[in-house]
Amino acid sequence: MVVSLDMARRMGKAAIKKAGEMNRLCSVAVVDDRGIPIIIYRMNHTPFPTADIAYDKAWTAASFGMPSSDIVKLGNPSCPGFGFNTENYNYRLTPIAGGMPIKDGDEVTGGIGVSGATPEEDVAICQAGIAAMYS
Amino acid sequence: MTKEVTMEEGVPWKKITLEVAERMIAAAQRWASNAGVPCCVTIVDKAGAVVALERMDGCGFPGIATNAAIGKAYTAAQACVSNYLLSKMLDPRYIGEIPGSYYIGLMTQLNCRINLIPGGEPIRDDELNVIGGVGCGGPPDAVGEISDMTVCQVAISSLYE
Repeated sequence: MVVSLDMARRMGKAAIKKAGEMNRLCSVAVVDDRGIPIIIYRMNHTPFPTADIAYDKAWTAASFGMPSSDIVKLGNPSCPGFGFNTENYNYRLTPIAGGMPIKDGDEVTGGIGVSGATPEEDVAICQAGIAAMYS
Repeated sequence: MTKEVTMEEGVPWKKITLEVAERMIAAAQRWASNAGVPCCVTIVDKAGAVVALERMDGCGFPGIATNAAIGKAYTAAQACVSNYLLSKMLDPRYIGEIPGSYYIGLMTQLNCRINLIPGGEPIRDDELNVIGGVGCGGPPDAVGEISDMTVCQVAISSLYE
């Protein structure tokens, strides 16, 4: 199922609400299955590079269908995919934690990225956003 | 630290906050859905960084429109003029004919991030200082009655309502 603007907006709002509850400033990006942003929100007083970083994380998660932190596995020297980290396709690939794919069954329908807090908190905020998708 | 002023307090705005940006986007989307042109609207702050971006369902050329909307808003915020003026200045057909026409090398400035398609407008506060930019992509034309520029103008005029 395609991620619509309504769903993306709900996810972004929920993520911002969660960040507010955790007393953190962050940016949220939701991208569709092609990695194109549907929404990007940056909370007031959040450092401005976070908007781009959130987009990068969401792009990475949506394009590979895995959490952005798992991308480092592909760059491991003991792994056949070594060298992957030098590709940097589109200049958007990032291994920083905080991007989660949005899945409908097995199919990847999009990605959400959060930047601004610590990586663990970013992931928690992402999950809050994904949980709000169908609410 | 200066006090942040928002529209909710009934006084002029000095800074692009997420609330102001969302209000502008909502106005632009209302107009765009009435006109039947799904589009992507981006609001950036003084630095040219995205504050809010929303792409409507069914937006034409989604990838290009989104990228262009970010680029147009960035350009308007950095250059402090409408993209329409810049694109006119940099049009090679006008070389030597209008002021600014020799600035054609501006195209590769700012790491080639600037976008010269009309459809980006700077946002000004009550003292006419530039505090941000708005960019739009998706409508089939850049200049005209139903176009990128009109959507931007609707977004800006919603500040004064």
